[in-house]
Amino acid sequence: MLKVEKISKSYGNNLAVNDLSFVVERGEIFGLLGANGAGKTTTFRMIMGLLDPDSGYITLDGKPIDYGVTDNIGFVTEERSLLTKMTVKEQVIYYGILKGMVEEEILEKLDWWLKKFQIQDYKNRKIKELSKGNQQKIQFISAVIHEPKLLILDEPFTGLDPINVKLFQDAIYELQKQGCSIIFSSHQMEHIEMFCEKLIILVKGKVVLAGYLKDIKKEYRKKNIKLVGDIDLVELKKIPGVLAVNALANEYEIKIREEEVAYEVFKKISKYKVSKFVIEEPSLSEIFIAKVGEKYGE
Amino acid sequence: MASKFWYLTGLSLKKKMKTKWFLLANVILLVAIVGLINIDSIIGFFGGDFNDTNEVVILDYTDQVVSVFEQNLKRSNELFGTDYQTKIEVFEKSEEDLETELRESSKIGLVFRQDPESYLTVTIISDKKIDSLYYQTLVQALNTTKTQIAMRLTNIDLEELNKINSSVAIERIILDEKAKNEQESTAMIMGTVFPTVILPFFMLVIFLVQMIGSEINEEKTTRSMEIIISNVSPKVHFFSKVFASNVFVILQGLLLMSYGGIGLFLRTNFSTVPNSSFTDRVHETWSMLTTTSFMEKLYYVIPLTLLLMLLSFIAYSLVAGILASMTVNMEDFQQIQTPIMLVSMISYYLAIMAGMFEGSIFIRILSYLPFISCLLAPALLVVGQIGIIDVIISVILLIGFIFVAIKYGLKIYKIGILNYSTDKMWSKLFQAARTKKI
Repeated sequence: MLKVEKISKSYGNNLAVNDLSFVVERGEIFGLLGANGAGKTTTFRMIMGLLDPDSGYITLDGKPIDYGVTDNIGFVTEERSLLTKMTVKEQVIYYGILKGMVEEEILEKLDWWLKKFQIQDYKNRKIKELSKGNQQKIQFISAVIHEPKLLILDEPFTGLDPINVKLFQDAIYELQKQGCSIIFSSHQMEHIEMFCEKLIILVKGKVVLAGYLKDIKKEYRKKNIKLVGDIDLVELKKIPGVLAVNALANEYEIKIREEEVAYEVFKKISKYKVSKFVIEEPSLSEIFIAKVGEKYGE
Repeated sequence: MASKFWYLTGLSLKKKMKTKWFLLANVILLVAIVGLINIDSIIGFFGGDFNDTNEVVILDYTDQVVSVFEQNLKRSNELFGTDYQTKIEVFEKSEEDLETELRESSKIGLVFRQDPESYLTVTIISDKKIDSLYYQTLVQALNTTKTQIAMRLTNIDLEELNKINSSVAIERIILDEKAKNEQESTAMIMGTVFPTVILPFFMLVIFLVQMIGSEINEEKTTRSMEIIISNVSPKVHFFSKVFASNVFVILQGLLLMSYGGIGLFLRTNFSTVPNSSFTDRVHETWSMLTTTSFMEKLYYVIPLTLLLMLLSFIAYSLVAGILASMTVNMEDFQQIQTPIMLVSMISYYLAIMAGMFEGSIFIRILSYLPFISCLLAPALLVVGQIGIIDVIISVILLIGFIFVAIKYGLKIYKIGILNYSTDKMWSKLFQAARTKKI
């Protein structure tokens, strides 16, 4: 279990992380969201022991972060942290040994992972010769080869096609099943929604939203109605509580202030021929934009 | 953590030495060094004219010049330090026949005539131009010959002539006892031996600085540093780089020495050049070393020089590591390390010109300074301008510099390696140096 308790970090007058607390349980996938400069990288660096917090503390399974503890953490950075002149084998051995493994053990696990990601032929190829997606796979393998207790994934799907995203997704779920705690950070909200049960959103180093995803969505009052039919859009826009009406490719999206407004909308459209009427939770992306935008405006 | 240190050190060395570029660079160095040592053999092999015998045909109307000229030509060779081989042939026919003989030939014709006013005149005939140095050698021999002939004609007997021609007898008395051991020849040795010995030091310093700079920058630019530093402390990382780069330059230095040895071995055993000037020079220099007090000095000059060089390598690698941590790419590193390299160049030239600064307090103080001391201090010690105490001061200052570089450099390194921005770089680093925690 990772416990981050009231940590703060400043660079000169700039408060990068402000009184941040969260807990990632064993086998939990936790989303850490924030716009650029929100303090995510500083938080990751403190968890990795690269930076010391000015105040507060971080523990992994009750132990404060030191080089013994960081051997149990895997980190997939946003910028592929790979030495591109090395071969795949050399690179994974390098990071594996730094994590305290022995070469034989690394090679055994490397073969397994290469097979899983369908890149067995690249074992002795230089990293710079690989495609972006395959480099990302190598970075992922380097981060998990030592079977970490905590895995930090910072934009792990950059450069991956949908097939490879699926491969990564399966690998992440497998690690979760093995009890690995995972911190997931991405600007692609659909990925966060796909993986994370729990999340926090940071704005200027401070938490603006925290909790379980389903609760966050529930508590967020605004809803969307998706409908298909021959309707008068002007009439719908006049209903109090309707915030916007958008014509999508094959349907309409009606944004409403709260769920009660949906009844008014339903009453209005009942005279038309309607083949679809669905009330949906707002997407995480909408919530993120609303929350982050609000705070940035302050 | 100790095993990670050795692993990082080994990996740095492997990355540097187990590459085709290292192999290629060393093959080129081997070929260049061996080739340089055997350059005359190589030129000769491809048809050059390094030691070909010159043929001189003499038409002597005086009937007394040939043997004298022959002796003087040998002396002239010695005087100019050349080793021209000359085959002398006496021509018995007319001058017109001589010209016909020399046409389309590489032979040189000399026609000696007696002259009532200037004792001796000479006509030099050749089909083509004569090598300028050989021409000077001939002229020198002719002038001496003329003097001797003139003396003979003015009834100075041979014994007297030899006395006149012999070198002046010089007795050297130095009143200052301390200065007695510092013979003039030492300065000459400084001018020939010392630059040859210290030149590779520069090459190795360049290798050292480049190695440490490129490795740290590569890890920074690829952001691998974040992964590495999360598993090993910056201190371990820094010292592994310093240690690996020093081991590398020592190994490279040994390789350079072995290439020199191979070159000398080939020259000694397989050289196609007879009576080579190189061998003579080596013998000459060696005899000069053994007959002067220079050899006695070597017993302490060599260990002190090696100690200063080793400490300087460490100082260079520390500074290079710190500078590399501050920069965000190799171009910035190249720029920031230039002043350090410039200081070394100054030190190199000061060392070569060490004999010129007799009694200069400024130069003596310069010889104490880190990066300058490694070359200047031993050079001044050899020429007797500073004593062992001065060199020990240089060593102490260098150790002090290394201590300070480690103490403050580590703090800078810890901040620098994870800093990817050049904004307010200096204030960040000064702030880092002031922190108490490493």
